[in-house]
Amino acid sequence: MSNQRKRLTGEREDEDDEDAEGIGEWERAYVDDRSWEELQEDESGLLRPIDNSAIYHAQYRRRLRMLSAAAAGTRIQKGLIRYLYIVIDFSRAAAEMDFRPSRIAVMAKHIEAFIREFFDQNPLSQIGLVSIKNGVAHTLTDLGGSPETHIKALMGKLEALGDSSLQNALELVNEHLSQVPSYGHREVLILYSALCTCDPGDIMETIQKCKKSKLRCSVIGLSAEMFICKHLCQETGGLYSVAVDEVHLKDLLLEHAPPPPAIAEFAIANLIKMGFPQRAAEGSMAICSCHKEVKIGAGYMCPRCKARVCDLPTECTICGLTLVSSPHLARSYHHLFPIAPFDEVPAFSSLNDSRRTLGKSCFGCQQSLIGTGNKPGPCVTCRKCKHYFCLDCDIYIHESLHNCPGCESIHRPKSVSLMEE
Amino acid sequence: MIFKIEDVTVYFPYDNIYPEQYEYMVELKRTLDAKGHCLLEMPTGTGKTIALLSLITSYRLSRPDSPIKLVYCTRTVHEMEKTLAELKVLHDYQVLHLGTQAKILAIGLSSRKNLCVNTKVLAAENRDSVDAACRKRTASWVRALSTEKPNIELCDYFENYEKAAENALLPPGVYTLEDLRAFGNNRGWCPYFLARHMVQFANVIVYSYQYLLDPKVAGIISKELQKESVVVFDEAHNIDNVCIEALSVSVRRVTLEGANRNLNKMKHEIDRFKATDAGRLRAEYNRLVEGLALRGDLSGGDQWLANPALPHDILKEAVPGNIRRAEHFVHVLRRLLQYLGVRLDTENVEKESPVSFVSSLNSQAGIEQKTLKFCYDRLQSLMLTLEITDTDEFLPIQTVCDFATLVGTYARGFSIIIEPYDERMPHIPDPILQLSCHDASLAIKPVFDRFQSVVITSGTLSPIDLYPRLLSFTPVVSRSFKMSMTRDCICPMVLTRGSDQLPVSTKFDMRSDPGVVRNYGKLLVEMVSIVPDGVVCFFVSYSYMDGIIATWNETGILKEIVQQKLVFIETQDVVETTLALDNYRRACDCGRGAVFFSVARGKVAEGIDFDRHYGRVVVMYGVPFQYTLSKILLARLEYLRDTFQIKEGDFLTFDALRQAAQCVGRVIRSKADYGMMIFADKRYSRHDKRSKLPGWILSHLRDAHLNLSTDMAIHNAREFLRKMAQPYDKTGTMGRKTLLTQEDLEKMAETGVQDMAY
Repeated sequence: MSNQRKRLTGEREDEDDEDAEGIGEWERAYVDDRSWEELQEDESGLLRPIDNSAIYHAQYRRRLRMLSAAAAGTRIQKGLIRYLYIVIDFSRAAAEMDFRPSRIAVMAKHIEAFIREFFDQNPLSQIGLVSIKNGVAHTLTDLGGSPETHIKALMGKLEALGDSSLQNALELVNEHLSQVPSYGHREVLILYSALCTCDPGDIMETIQKCKKSKLRCSVIGLSAEMFICKHLCQETGGLYSVAVDEVHLKDLLLEHAPPPPAIAEFAIANLIKMGFPQRAAEGSMAICSCHKEVKIGAGYMCPRCKARVCDLPTECTICGLTLVSSPHLARSYHHLFPIAPFDEVPAFSSLNDSRRTLGKSCFGCQQSLIGTGNKPGPCVTCRKCKHYFCLDCDIYIHESLHNCPGCESIHRPKSVSLMEE
Repeated sequence: MIFKIEDVTVYFPYDNIYPEQYEYMVELKRTLDAKGHCLLEMPTGTGKTIALLSLITSYRLSRPDSPIKLVYCTRTVHEMEKTLAELKVLHDYQVLHLGTQAKILAIGLSSRKNLCVNTKVLAAENRDSVDAACRKRTASWVRALSTEKPNIELCDYFENYEKAAENALLPPGVYTLEDLRAFGNNRGWCPYFLARHMVQFANVIVYSYQYLLDPKVAGIISKELQKESVVVFDEAHNIDNVCIEALSVSVRRVTLEGANRNLNKMKHEIDRFKATDAGRLRAEYNRLVEGLALRGDLSGGDQWLANPALPHDILKEAVPGNIRRAEHFVHVLRRLLQYLGVRLDTENVEKESPVSFVSSLNSQAGIEQKTLKFCYDRLQSLMLTLEITDTDEFLPIQTVCDFATLVGTYARGFSIIIEPYDERMPHIPDPILQLSCHDASLAIKPVFDRFQSVVITSGTLSPIDLYPRLLSFTPVVSRSFKMSMTRDCICPMVLTRGSDQLPVSTKFDMRSDPGVVRNYGKLLVEMVSIVPDGVVCFFVSYSYMDGIIATWNETGILKEIVQQKLVFIETQDVVETTLALDNYRRACDCGRGAVFFSVARGKVAEGIDFDRHYGRVVVMYGVPFQYTLSKILLARLEYLRDTFQIKEGDFLTFDALRQAAQCVGRVIRSKADYGMMIFADKRYSRHDKRSKLPGWILSHLRDAHLNLSTDMAIHNAREFLRKMAQPYDKTGTMGRKTLLTQEDLEKMAETGVQDMAY
């Protein structure tokens, strides 16, 4: 959740800290803002700011997708246990500087955020990392549930070299994922910065192989649309998108965090054996099975073989039992019952109806909904409780909170009066 | 959908229609009402063909008392098939809604090579030998002979077709070439002769330009078409060149040698006939005395050589006495060949008008104009009399007679140019004698005169006011339509400077400048690194392309390009080019990416589409002017200036820019597609050049993109490609409606077409 906040507000600041050393203070403002890129020339030669319709568009898209999902059936099945490989293209093209400071740094930064967000939303899932360099695909990390190991492995290897090969990466991932249990959803997310792929064989065959093994391949391009990527995504049912700028890249990445609708063939209910380990007693000493180190306190005990593990969720290295904690399960739950999308309120009618008093401020943050020039700003309304919300709260409610404050407060009318005071 | 345009109910087989298609139909309908000719420019990818077909067939249905016939001319067989396929969809739709009364007969007509089903005939490698192989089996005397000698091979399909005689008819429907072959195979009838026979009954005929424009072919195929026909020339931006080629002949030394051999053979035949069947020659002589006007009796079903001159220029009188006898005619031809041989031996370039050529021919070889005029007809008669079937062998002598007839018939609009060597390779003697036609209006005039409406349409007809002058006709409608788009899916840019800010151009004094070559190279290197999949480059000529690629190779630029994408090059060899194209497509498909180097005015620029990922960027290096030192071009320019008051510069620019537009237009073939067009020459930024580009390109050419350097172009390209990769809404939003439904159209009919949203 804290992550989410940072995305909305404080993103510019951490950039400052990381890569603006050695630049004068006055310069830094321009370098970071890159304000000139937000201007464009219109027909008559005047400079105008680029309208940030891109952001609204992203929101719009999300809305649309949810709507279509809702239309398809009220209870859509979602794969909660996902095995996702992230393939990062570290070929020559990743060194390009059109994203500042370079594509490779931007990719790494956002993948880090993505990994955290991913585990936040899918506590039962696992991630593995693969990189493409010099035309060969390397495994950076095997499938695992600990964000820290992935991030550490990723950050250690930041250099861009040689050609890129989509086929090699797909083959490697396909091989890895062929071993995962059948109830898990196999996915690949490819961050592709190159514009071509030098393959040893026929990539079409590899794509068909992926399709056969139900591998859902999604690609995020960093520069332009490539036919082969589009083809791959279409064949395997993944998403293909191309990032316009850094913010857009982040949005696109995070779109992959919530679990996708289950592929029809997987939509059979399965019983899975899981263990709910107890936290080890304070001060007890044991050798943890994951790092082979002696640790005092902290850690969990596998209920079946009593081995010690450091982090949850994971798979017990000794007996292979899936170890989770109950909050993990609970957190995965909201994907199955998402809040219905809020309706957009047409700009002018909103304040003229009988709900005038209600409509003046956002029910979530109590900010006024009246925009500049005394015009009503854009706002949305919940279908059930008919409360109004500002756009920020809309995103917050749908992406982080997963509860509508309006609907929740209907059951506890006292809290409403408290808030109003 | 079904809607009304004024008083015509239009049946359109799709649920939605683009606004420009609707406008196109309105203009077309007015042309048909006015029974006049029209010029319509509409970008490719907007469904021109279906709009045309559906309006004309619907127009026909709404006027049952005076049914019009549609003659649709395409440039290639491929386009013919595409048109027929669309017509099929339309026809099914109309039959569904109107029942059997909407049934029409539509056929495609092509050469024997494309229609023949006899495997033995098809084994021949080129068109002419297929024709000859067919004649060997179907000529009337061969068939007559076979009754006596059963071992002579005939074509079963033709025999069956002949047996069926009047009953050999096609049931109504739309027949592509494939369907015709299948039908022929099924019934055992020859599809080629069947199709030719059906031309007079068909409601829609789709065939190539030559069948209407080349008098040699048109005289046979198209002479029975009724006046109430609508003739459509699709992709007609080069129609003037087609017209000119139809009336131009070139004679090389090889031709003369071949013609000499032909004459020897004919002489031999004549001698043989004299000995065995003198009566035949006598009968021919008598016929010729009576006059060639009656030659219809002579040929039966074996017409295959029609006069190369236009019908109204052919004299309907008897063949002059000095060539009536076969051996005399052969002598005349020999003298003609000798004279041509002497003329070819010249050291200098000579240019002459037909009048002076004929008079010197008269004084030196003793052949007068009238004799020349009849050469072709006389040859035809002689070859029929001699029962010659392997016509492909006799091509050289036909060419020479063709030349003789044309030179004898036309005094104006032609010139004779003799060049001892190719200008570009002066050390290799390759004499050539060309009779070149300068006046495109000559060949097309009979078409305009004969048919009720002629529609000339293409994606690039700019500037549209020049075509009526070149072809000398008055259109009732001439309009250029824009493309309505949901997003700006084309991005034309004019690149005037390299990355070092020095101007780039292929102007003659600059083209070999190493700086320009390097800048062009750098442009491509940068482009291939930011553009996915396919990149197409067009150069102004083969020699320029060879030169620049060689330099790039030396300076290592080519190596840099190859690191990013594979390189394929168009050559003058068709097979090689086809192979290169095939591999280019494969490289684009599998994600490796490729660059295709091609030449403006080449085969690729004219007929190959680089749509979707096969061409994301097209770079036009330089302005593709014609080779201005060419004697033929100079003669033509002079003629245009004197006759039509078209300035040399204007014509050259027009011609260069239509080629350029044609090249860059290859990149976008539908609205869902997108592509960039880079005009890399500083001359494009000048108004007189730029303004001649088609309107649909110009409307996307922003002022900011008129004077770019390489790095700015690269920056724009990045932005554009990113923008285009985003998902988009196909139907268009409120402001820019690009798909109209039936209700929209009804609304529009009330308010008028003018306030349509673009």
